[in-house]
Formats: sequence, structure tokens, C-alpha cells
Amino acid sequence: MADKNVLIIGGGVAGLAAAVELADLDIQVELIEKSNFLGGHAIGYACKAINNTCVKCGACMVEEKLQSAVSHPNIKILTGSQVQNISKNHRFTASIRQEPLVIDREKCTNCGLCLDRCPVDRTILQGFSKNNHPFYAVNKEKCLYFKDQSCTICKDECPETAIDLDKKASEHTIEAGAVLIATGFQPFNPKDKPYGYGRFKNVVTGLDLERMLKQFGRVKKPSGNKLLQKIAFIQCVGSRDAKLNHLWCSKVCCGSALRMARLIKERQPKTEITFFYMDVQTFGKDFEQFYREAREDIRMIRAIPGDFYEMDDQRLKVNFVDNPTHETMEEVFDLVVLSVGITPCEDIGPMSRMFKIGPDEFGFLKTDDKGMLVSKNGVFTAGTVQGPMSIPETIAGAGSAVWKIIKYIDGHELRFEKVTV
Amino acid sequence: MNNKTLILGNGPCAVAVAENLLTTGIAIVIATTDDTIGLDGSADSGALQILAEMRLISCKGSLGTFRIEAIQNNKPVTLDVGRIIIAEEDQRTSNFSLYGLNASSNVITLSHMKNVLHDSSCEKSILSEIKKVVFLTGFVKESSPVIAKEVMLSSLLLQKDYNLQTYILTKNLKVAGDGLESLYRETKEAGTIYIKFTDAVPDIHQGEEDNIRIEFFDEITSKNFRLTPDMTVVDETIVPSRYATGLAKIFHIESDVNGFVQADNVHRYSVLTNRKGIMVAGPSRDILADDDQRIDAENAALAVTGLASGETETKAKKAQVHAGQCIRCLTCYRLCPYHAITLNACVEVVPNACERCGICAAHCPRGAVRITDLEPGAISDLITTDTGRQPQKTFMPFIVAFCCHRSAAQARDLAICMGHRLPQGLQVVEVPCSGAVSYDHIFAALDNNADGVMVLTCHKGNCHSEQGNIYAGQTVEQIQEMFSRVGFEKERLLIQTLASNMGTEFARIADRFEETIVKIGPSRLKKN
Repeated sequence: MADKNVLIIGGGVAGLAAAVELADLDIQVELIEKSNFLGGHAIGYACKAINNTCVKCGACMVEEKLQSAVSHPNIKILTGSQVQNISKNHRFTASIRQEPLVIDREKCTNCGLCLDRCPVDRTILQGFSKNNHPFYAVNKEKCLYFKDQSCTICKDECPETAIDLDKKASEHTIEAGAVLIATGFQPFNPKDKPYGYGRFKNVVTGLDLERMLKQFGRVKKPSGNKLLQKIAFIQCVGSRDAKLNHLWCSKVCCGSALRMARLIKERQPKTEITFFYMDVQTFGKDFEQFYREAREDIRMIRAIPGDFYEMDDQRLKVNFVDNPTHETMEEVFDLVVLSVGITPCEDIGPMSRMFKIGPDEFGFLKTDDKGMLVSKNGVFTAGTVQGPMSIPETIAGAGSAVWKIIKYIDGHELRFEKVTV
Repeated sequence: MNNKTLILGNGPCAVAVAENLLTTGIAIVIATTDDTIGLDGSADSGALQILAEMRLISCKGSLGTFRIEAIQNNKPVTLDVGRIIIAEEDQRTSNFSLYGLNASSNVITLSHMKNVLHDSSCEKSILSEIKKVVFLTGFVKESSPVIAKEVMLSSLLLQKDYNLQTYILTKNLKVAGDGLESLYRETKEAGTIYIKFTDAVPDIHQGEEDNIRIEFFDEITSKNFRLTPDMTVVDETIVPSRYATGLAKIFHIESDVNGFVQADNVHRYSVLTNRKGIMVAGPSRDILADDDQRIDAENAALAVTGLASGETETKAKKAQVHAGQCIRCLTCYRLCPYHAITLNACVEVVPNACERCGICAAHCPRGAVRITDLEPGAISDLITTDTGRQPQKTFMPFIVAFCCHRSAAQARDLAICMGHRLPQGLQVVEVPCSGAVSYDHIFAALDNNADGVMVLTCHKGNCHSEQGNIYAGQTVEQIQEMFSRVGFEKERLLIQTLASNMGTEFARIADRFEETIVKIGPSRLKKN
């Protein structure tokens, strides 16, 4: 099966789901992931079950795909790795550069001592899943050793001698019969919006909140443990925005935000939540009921606020136009959550150059409707690199890519032109 | 094992499944309830058999050995297949009554309008005498992107090709579909006027001669408006076909709240059902856009191919019914979520279908169903008080937690990874499903000196075995009641739900439970 192996670029939901499907069919998979941890953005998402009932956000399925992938004998994984260049002569030959894995995966026991002892904040990074092994990684941007070699505390104190700060990057060559690009999305960076993200402590993104809920099980005020009473969710930050030419709905933010809002209401019932929106999108099979119940707990305002000001106590003054009265309202919130949209990931540039595939009008990397354009050459895409999609859609899309890949490597002609769905 | 695959349906999704499978050489049978199928004749080769006007009646057997009874042209037919893909079309119910309207020549459904616009055989003259068209969508019931797309596309054509003025009246415009935000902008540029309602809804009057008058307060301009359209197009609700709903019963497949033939359960992503070897694709399982139906067709083909690669199930690890003890009460048959129990001369377990969840063994009143490694004796052997522990001045409770291996057991591992300190006296016993936890297991824990027992299950609607967590809840409740009756602290038994990614919550639950047990003190059933 050596000539039937598949290179998957990206270890998020799409890459993992595709890897597991391929590996189950006895196809060897080489999975490379740029960051230190597998699972993509979604591995940081919290379970949003309320009233002991699953709300079908799909976050636990990411955990399951990751678990299956890391334990699968047919899947080889390289983290901290990127494709340097790729050539094709019947088969693909990719040269991969892997950043030094400072923490040895064989030796590390995930004891967390490195995190405890590191003197610089956010230098030892933590994973999100027990299947992120090692559970820790060294952030070279911040580490003093990488700056001026002034600190080796983690290395010295590691009881397993698992840390080697002098480790060198390595080069790998991977040959593959087909390539799947699953490099995911870039969450919209709201810095340029008048919402003070990055400057005001109590303005966070939906992704930040997901991770906060996963880590602490409840919402905290980033500025400190003062009373947290009023939270505002602002939808469509970076989506449905003509000024940015972001003429798409990110599909997942209404579901994520309303599910988180209800979870917070359940766990911290004294919190008052306001939801600023344009149109609430349908998500889940029992949306009608979910939405009805959500409106009982959550104040819904159909307006997108103009701007915020940070007050002396670090609370936020939010301006918005109240629709029924047409008056500009001003209200103070303890925490503002920006539901940032899905935007094309930064790897799309290099990918489209390397594989000579043009992005679509909005910058996403799509195969055409019938999967022909790209897949003819043995290059496939899956997941949010194609555009916004939810976790279940991503898993389904990965299956679809796998189907096209096995047709391709088996030498079958694709017959999509006859399908008239 | 029989690899032949039965496809149910005759719409685009069923055709797409068939076309995908035809490339694999797997033999296919397509059964349709009418006499049309969108496959061309050349496809009807040795690998493909089409059975028209066929309605299913029953299905026996399991993966690889399904036996279907059906009626074709009033004659009974028997069919043996290895796998089944349900890909029946959905249907639509018109929403006239939701808006207080009656169908008439100028009040029509969205499908009717689509036919007028796209079907060459359909009379287009009705568009020549009108100027204003109103679309009513999604303000009594929430709509879907599939319907929103059709509304916007129709409106765009009417504006551009017929030079009509269109209005779309809605609450939440559903743009969460590929290209819909762009389409929305395009319709606006073409002149479509959108009127969105938040809380209020318009007054709609259908007067004499079916003249429609719509009055509303516009939230943007704060003015009252009156619309008198020449034609009103009413949206529709997409529902599963009655035949598809019936198939769910025939195949013992769990449906969702709307009657679609797939449980609303994340473990069924994307085309799986609670029955191994039976997949459900496209409009039979959900309201899906065309692209998503195509993706479903590919996933269904992939699932069939995966199964065909020949997994042989070993009997040893699966549930086994001991005929001597079985009294044919059929508890196992009723409870098995995978329909893996067959009723022959003896009650038997089909190894191919059994997922080893343990529900049958836990609930058999005679102890006649057994699963290796899950018997109370085997579980009891796992539970060991740590005798090497230093004698403590303070009481350190011994806690046994029965954890579903898909959720709570994973959450425990995550909690440890995240650096949470778990109670020192906590012992986790992994079970394949919390539904496998029986009276015997819980008493085995108490008998082995546990001061407290936790049963940690998946959330409702997230159990791979559909109801395993519910059964666990019932078991715990009954034992708690028994405890109260005999004066034993029922607080020693706790049931909670968790997901695999809830490390912090696991730690919190374990911590609080330990506190509770410390307060109550050591169990009186403890042997020393």
C-alpha cells in the first residue's frame, strides 16, 4: 500500500476525521500539523450541554476523532511541521520542516512542573486534550532561553529530563499518492473593529470564551475576580460585513454563542446576558425549541453596537441603536464577547501557490461543486479551508474528501458529471 | 457475508449513492416506491438491479444477512442484502394556515412558484398580469437556509427576468448556507425589498376575491405600511416523507424530533444509525442543501465500502445468552439499542450487530445474558481498596466511579492532564456504557468497601447506545429509594452526566462527592 498513502496537511477536525476514515480503510496516512497540538481550534471548545442534555455542538466528537487518530497504527503524525515545497511526478514528494520538539514525547509524563516553574507568563503552552501529548510545549517567541539563553529552569527541573532546549529543527521527506489540504480557518481578528479587542481587558472573542469555559467550567472576568453580572454577545463580528468584503455568514457563531450563553445562565444564574444580532441562524435539529427557551433567559436585541468605551473600573460602555425607539442607547457591561467569524486561513496563500489552485472570490480554497477542478490532480480540500462550516459539516465533508481520494488512488474515473443532485 | 447493498429511494440523493457505488463493483439493488428513477438505462447492468413500485414491509437479520419482505405490484417479494442505505426524498407541507391564508390563484406555495419559474411545461402567463409579489417566510415557524435560498432565487428571477417588484417578509433571514449572504446582497441590488420582523408580525387579511392586504409596523422606519400584493408566495416546511418515517419503524431506527430517520445524536455523524449496516443519507435524515446531499451520498458509499472491507466479529467478547437461564421475557430484545437480539428457538445475540454496551446483561432479570469482563464478579475483582495506604487520622473515603468509557473516563484522564487533584481514594471503573451498570455492580462496589459510588454517564441525547444513560439513571434511582427505605444513606450513590472534554467538571464532581462522603462518614457496609 506504499503507493497509496495520503499526505494530510492540517490536524484539525477535518484532517483528523479524514485520517481516521482513510486509516480504517488500511490506507497509510501522513498527517502534518503546524502547531504544537492536534485538534485545531475546535479542540479548545467546551461542552455546552445544559440541563444534563447534549446540545449537539459536536465538540466531544473532535475529542473522539483525535483519540482515534493518535492511537491508529496507520497514521503517522508530525506536529510543529510545515510543507516547505512539494513536487509531483505521478506521486507527490513533499519536504517538511519540523520545528524542534523541545519536550520529548517519549519521556514527558505531563506532570506540568515546567509550567509551574517557568518564570515567564504564557511561555509553556498547555494542550486542550489528554490526547495532546505532550500536554505542554515551549513557546519560543516568549522563552528566555530562545531570547538570550538566560533561563534553563524548565530543563533543569524536569524530573524526566524530557526537555532539550537545544534541539534542532528536522527535515522530513514524505512521498504520497494524494494530498488533502485541511488547513482550517483563521478566526477574524477584531483588532481593527472599534471594539477595543486587545486593548480592553474585558472584551474577548467567542473562541476565548469557549476555551475559558473548557478550562474553568465557568466564565470569569479577565480583568480580575470582581463581580460579573452583565455579559453582551455581539454577533457577526467579521461576518456579513460588506465593508470588509466578507459577504458570508460564518454559520457557526449563532449556535456557539447562544449555547454558551445558556450554559452560563445555567451555571451562573445571576448573570444577565444580552445578545446583539442581525438574524439568528438555525442550528441543530430542535432549533425551534432551543431558540424559544433561549429567549426566555437571554435578552435579544436586533442591532449591532457601534463602539465601546472602557470605563475606569474596566467595565464597558456599549452604544447601540434601539430599534423600536430609534434612540441611541448606552449600556454598561462587565464582559463583551465578540462572535468573530470564520475567515480564510493564512496558509491559503502558500497552499494555492504550491498546488496552483486559485482561491475563490472570498479567499477560501474550494474544489468546485463536483469536486473535479482540484481533485483531478490528486489534491483535495476538506473542512473550513473551503469556507465556514460546523463540526458535523466538517466531519461529513472529510468523508466526502476521503471518498474522492480513494477513487483517485484506486485509479477510478470520477463520475460526478452524471450526478444530478 | 452478503455485500449486496439495497438503496431505498428514487430521488437525486439515491441516484448519487448508486452512481458512487457503481464504481466500486459492489452489487446494488435500488427499490423505489414508484416507477421512476433518475438513472440512465446503461447503468442497469449486472451490478445493478432496479425494483420499481416496491414497498417494504419488514426486515430481519443484521449486517451481512438482512432479509427484506416487500410488496411489489401486489405480490410479496423477498430480498437478501448485506447493507441498506435509506435515501428517500423528503416532502413539503405548505404553511398557508400559519399565516391565516387559504390557497388560491394568487396565494401559492413556494414550490408552485418554483415550478412556474423553472418548469417549461408550467403556465407562465400568471406572471404577466402582476406587479407586486410578496414572499412570506419564517415568521411563525423558524425557516431554514434551504427554503431561504429558494425564496431569494425566486425573488431574484422575478425582479430581473419579469421586472416585478418583490418583497420578502421574514423574521430571521437564514443565510447560514453557502453563498447565501452574497445572494441576499444580489437580491437587494436587484430591487427586492426585505421587511424583517423581530417581535411583532404583520396583519394579513385575505379579503373578497382573495385580495391580500398586509399591514405592519416597520421597525426600521417606524411607520405603518400596507402592502397589497398581486401574488403572495407562502413558504413551506420540509418534513420527512411518511414512507421514510415508516422505514424507521421497520428497521428499528431511532428518529429525531421531526421524524427524520436518524437520531439527533453526535455519534451518528454523518450517515450512521443505531443499526450497523444501515445508513441514512440526504433528505431522509435532515433538511439538507443540494451540496450536503451529494456529500451524504459519498459518505454513505464510503460507509458501505468500509464495511465491505470485511470485518469479522468475534463472538467471544460479545453478549451471550445462556439458554438454560433464559425465560424469554424479552427484556434484552426490548432494550438492545442496536437490535442485536434475535428470537429464534432460543434468544440469541447477533455478534455482528452487538456493540457490547452491556445494557442487556445489566437488565436481564435472570442473569442469563453475560459479557466477558463485565460480569459483576469480574468488576468486583477490579475494585480493590488500597491496603498499602497509610493509616490516616482523618477519614479518607474510598470512592468507586463507574465511568462510561466514551465520556466520563476520558474526562477523568483530561482532569489529570489539566493538573486537577482528584480524591486520593477515587477508583475509576470503566464501563462500555453506563447502561451496563447493574444493581450487582453497585453492590459489588459497596461490598468491596466503597464509601460512595458514582455512576458517571453521557449527557442525555449523547449516549452511543441511545438510552444507556437513562437506564443507568433508573437503576440508581431505584437503589437510592431502596437505601432510604432501609435507612442507608442514599447520598452514597450519585449519578451525574459528563462529556469527554469536561475535565474540570469531572474534578469538581469528584471533589464535591468526596466532601459529601466525608460528612456522612465511613460506610456501614465496610468490612475491616
